[in-house]
Amino acid sequence: MNRIRASVWLIAALAALATVATACGGTTTPGTTSKDTITVAGFNFPESSILAELYGQALAHDGYTVNYKLLLGTREVLAPAIKSGQIDLYPGYAATDLEYYNSGAGEATGDATATTAKLNSHLSSIGLIALTPSAAVDQNAFAVTKATQTKYTLSKLSDLAPIGNQLVLGAGPECPTRPFCQPGLKTTYGITFKDFKALDTDGPLTRAAFKNGTIQVGLVFSSDADLNQLGLVVLQDDKHLENADNVVPIARQAVATPEVTSVLNKVDAGLTTADLVTMNGQVELLHQDADAVAAAYLQQHNFFS
Amino acid sequence: MPDRLFLDIVDPWINWSWLSTHVPTILAALQEHLTLTLVALVGGLAISLPLGVAAHRWTTLRLPSLTTFGIFYTIPSISLFALLIPYTGLGAVTAEIPLIGYNVLILLRNILVGLDSVPPDVLDAADGMGYRPLARLIRIELPLALPAIFAGLRVATVSTIGIVTITAVIGLGGLGQLILKGLIESFHTPLVVATVLSIALALVADRGLAGVQRLAVPWSRES
Repeated sequence: MNRIRASVWLIAALAALATVATACGGTTTPGTTSKDTITVAGFNFPESSILAELYGQALAHDGYTVNYKLLLGTREVLAPAIKSGQIDLYPGYAATDLEYYNSGAGEATGDATATTAKLNSHLSSIGLIALTPSAAVDQNAFAVTKATQTKYTLSKLSDLAPIGNQLVLGAGPECPTRPFCQPGLKTTYGITFKDFKALDTDGPLTRAAFKNGTIQVGLVFSSDADLNQLGLVVLQDDKHLENADNVVPIARQAVATPEVTSVLNKVDAGLTTADLVTMNGQVELLHQDADAVAAAYLQQHNFFS
Repeated sequence: MPDRLFLDIVDPWINWSWLSTHVPTILAALQEHLTLTLVALVGGLAISLPLGVAAHRWTTLRLPSLTTFGIFYTIPSISLFALLIPYTGLGAVTAEIPLIGYNVLILLRNILVGLDSVPPDVLDAADGMGYRPLARLIRIELPLALPAIFAGLRVATVSTIGIVTITAVIGLGGLGQLILKGLIESFHTPLVVATVLSIALALVADRGLAGVQRLAVPWSRES
């Protein structure tokens, strides 16, 4: 087999593949979802399944037919799917989604409303819309043990400023150089810690360090399932140091009718970060099913009455 | 609630209470797994059989068809899904395109090997007895190629049963959904159950095909 012929075949084969791909593309017409059927998708983590079920079940109660596409993957899967109308709605996170759709331009801030407005400026041209952000957040947060909280009467990060020099901070090794971590705590809140321990972000090292008292303040994620169980309390980010990763439904404009919007806004208006922690715990630690957990929540909060 | 600081939860390999309440979920996953596998195999055969016969007859077709599906085989299925989603959606079509494509390569090679291995004097004898080309193909060549085709089918079946799990990333996956759930939640039970069932399914399918092969081609020695 000589080389020229081999490469000719290679090109021919690639061309054939491309033709098949385009031919397949021509036969489907994306974006034709029927009026009363809404496909709700979720990312590949339990919290996203729970949120998708909350939205989906609330919509189903309102009379919509709801299909679920859960544990789908990352934004790399969901974004093309929603753009082409394969899915209609997914529970997004304001700052992370903004930084995805603006290709990491660094526009996200700690202000949920401003971040969502910015996100919508990127979504409007591709037929999508972010609705009203919830108060519930899944973002970087600083936690203390209940014992530390009681000892110093702490509720928000500002409370740490006068006593920071008695406490040790634990976080990933990148913390001393990242604006959202040690430098931000100093400039935004005026907190100087006694010491810093390079551990991990919200992983086993941080947990062990809390346990044996090496650290008193640690970096965690605000909606972590095991925060309650570990006896950790998240301090409120009262000066908005962290990017606002508030839960926000991202929908196709065609689907986001006033009725759909009002149903979803009602769900988001009642939702808190503490609710997320509880429900994440039920799914991740007690291994209950996300649909049952969401149904129980909606029942409990009188969505089905 | 009292502070239960740092309660260490040891997740058992099998959580029987979860298992007992999720039997329908597991059966549904198993059924989806079987359906996805079956479609991938039938689809693979439907493409590779005519293609293999054609490539055997017209040898100029051989290299391009093997190259096409050889290249296809090298595309990671996850990136293929990402490319296909805008066109074919999040359903079975997107899942089956890579599965069928991978099977075509495996089956095509074996069909060609099988047809090539038919001894020339047998073909001469068939021609001498007055077989027309189509009749010779169906009654002489394909039966003689069956052992090689079956070998390919068995490899394709076992590998498809494993690969189907990856389609969990587009919301299908059969047992793959349970594996994904186990991975995401660090929950052993669905992971263990789905893995054991997937292995069992592959073994049963392979043994089953070996049995069919013994019935269909009694003269061939089992590999």
